[in-house]
Amino acid sequence: MGKWLMLILWPSFIVVCIAEGVFFTLIDPQELYLLGEPIHWSATAVYSVGFFLFWAVAAASSAFTCFLQRTAGDVNRQS
Amino acid sequence: MRAPERIAELAPASDEIETSLYEVRKKIYARAVSGLFARWRIALVIITQLVFYCSPWLIWNDRQAVLFDLVSRKFFIFGLVFWPQDFIFLTALLIISAYSLFLFTTVAGRLWCGYACPQTVYTEMFMWIERKIEGDRLQRMRLDQSSFGARKFGLKALKHGIWIAVALWTGFTFVGYFTPIKTLAASFSPWVLGPWETFWIFFYGFATYGNAGWMREQVCKYMCPYARFQSVMFDPDTLVITYDAKRGDPRGARGRKADPKSVGLGDCVDCNICVQVCPTGIDIRNGLQYECIGCAACIDGCDQVMDKMGYARGLIRYSTENAVKGKYPDQEISKHVVRPRVLIYTGLLVLVIMAFIGGLMLRSPLKVDVIRDRGALVRDAAGGQIENVYRLQFINTDEHAHRYELSVSGLPGLELVVKQPLEIPPATTQMVPVALHIDPTGLASGSHPIVFHIQEVDRPGVRADEKSRFFVR
Ligand code: SF4
Ligand code: SF4
Repeated sequence: MGKWLMLILWPSFIVVCIAEGVFFTLIDPQELYLLGEPIHWSATAVYSVGFFLFWAVAAASSAFTCFLQRTAGDVNRQS
Repeated sequence: MRAPERIAELAPASDEIETSLYEVRKKIYARAVSGLFARWRIALVIITQLVFYCSPWLIWNDRQAVLFDLVSRKFFIFGLVFWPQDFIFLTALLIISAYSLFLFTTVAGRLWCGYACPQTVYTEMFMWIERKIEGDRLQRMRLDQSSFGARKFGLKALKHGIWIAVALWTGFTFVGYFTPIKTLAASFSPWVLGPWETFWIFFYGFATYGNAGWMREQVCKYMCPYARFQSVMFDPDTLVITYDAKRGDPRGARGRKADPKSVGLGDCVDCNICVQVCPTGIDIRNGLQYECIGCAACIDGCDQVMDKMGYARGLIRYSTENAVKGKYPDQEISKHVVRPRVLIYTGLLVLVIMAFIGGLMLRSPLKVDVIRDRGALVRDAAGGQIENVYRLQFINTDEHAHRYELSVSGLPGLELVVKQPLEIPPATTQMVPVALHIDPTGLASGSHPIVFHIQEVDRPGVRADEKSRFFVR
C-alpha cells in the first residue's frame, strides 16, 4: 500500500510543481473565473488550491497507470 | 546508452535484500566518518544552509533582497526584478542548472548528490543531531534493540523534538521566500498567521522531517529521477568512487605486522568500515552501483584503515573506469578531462549563460504595472463625471532618474488626473496614484478596455503600454 501511494503521489508531485509554475506564470490568478464569478480569494489561496487540484489530476493519472500495469496474472488471480 | 549496462555488469547480483520496492528495508546505521571529503561535505552543508536560512532576511533597497512575491507576481533577487513576462529567464536558469549538472556528472560523477543536494545536506544535519544525542553507530543500534524505558524514551523524544524544530524552521524559511519573512515572523505573536502560510510551513517542515529523518537513502534510491539516469552521462573517463580490486583482493584479516604478500592477501583487511560508513548501505567493493551517491564516506573510512595499517591510501578512491582497467595511470586522469562530451556540455553551457546575461542587460529599463483599486470600482467626481482610480507601479531599472509622460487611450473623452511629467528616481519602484475621469452619458455600463501609454521624456525609444479596464456603472 505504502509503495503504491509513493508511486502515485511522488511522480505526480514532481509534475505538479512544473505544472503549477508554468500555469501561474502565464495566468494571473486574479483573472480566473469560478462558475462565472471572478475569484475573490487571496492569491495565496488560489495558488494553493490550484496546486492541490493539479496534484489530484496528476495523481489520478498515476493511479490509473498503476492500475493498468497489473499483469494478466494479477488480474486473473483476483477474480 | 552503454553506461547502464556497464553498471549492471559491474554490480553482480547484489546480495543485499531489497529486491522489491520499499518492502524490506534494513535500517541503516551509518557510522560517523572524518577525513578530507567529510570536511568538504560539512563545509558545503554550512555554506548552502547559511545561504538558505539567511537570504530571506537580507535587505536591498528597503525591501527583502530575495523574495518570490507571488501575490504581486514579481520575483526580487537583489537588484533584479523579474515579472511573469520574464519567464524566459527562469527557463534559461533551469537550462543552465541542467547543463551544469550534466557537466559535473560527466567529469566527476555524482558530486551534486554527495555534497550539495538538499536531501544529502538535511540528512547530514539530521544525522549529526542523531549522533550527538544517541551516540555513534553501535550505541544507536544498542539503543534501538534495548527495551523501551525512560532513557530510551527521553533520548528519542529529544531527538525528534530537535528534528521537528529544525524542520519547522526550515518550513518557515521556505515560506519566507514567498511571503515577506518579517511580516511572517511578526504574525506569530499575536498569532495572525494566514491559514495557507501555516499549512505550507507545516507541509514543507513535514517533508524535511520525513525525508531527512526517516526516508534518507530511500529518497535517493527510489524517488530521485537523477539517480536513475545519471549513468547516461557517465563515460569511461568519468571520475567515480572505485575500489581498487586489483590491489585489494584477495581480502582478509591479518596481523598489523604481517606482509600481505607473504600471506597471500591484497590490501583490503575486510574490516567492513567502508560498508558501515555508507549512508546507502552498499558495499562499494562490489563495483559501481546506482545506489552510490558518491559521498566519498567510504574513501575517508578506508583511508583511515590504510593509515592504521601503514599501507598507502587510496584503496578506495576517485578514479575512472579506464584508469582502473589500466589504460592509463591515475596521474593522467586530468589529461582525459577534456573530451568531446565535456566540450559539448561546456560549449552549450557557455552559450546559454551568455544569452542569459545578454538578455538581462538588454531588458527594457522601464516597467509599468497597472493595479486597479479593487475596493472602489467607480466613484462620482465633480461635474457629473465618474472616476476610476488606479495605482501605476513604475519601475525604473536604470541607474539614472528619468521623467515620463503618461497618456491613455481606449475610451474617447477619458481625462487623466495626474501631475506630469512623472519623475522616478534611479533603480526604484514607485507607486503613482492616477485617476481617470469621464462623462458617463451614453456609455454602456460594464468594463471597457483601456491602455496606458508611458513615454520616457528624454529617450524616445523607452516606452511601455499597459492594458487595464475602466468600469462604468
Ligand atoms: S574499509 Fe578498506 S580495508 Fe576495510 S573492508 Fe573496506 S576496502 Fe577493505
Ligand atoms: S559507496 Fe561510498 S561513496 Fe557510495 S554512497 Fe556508499 S559511502 Fe558514499
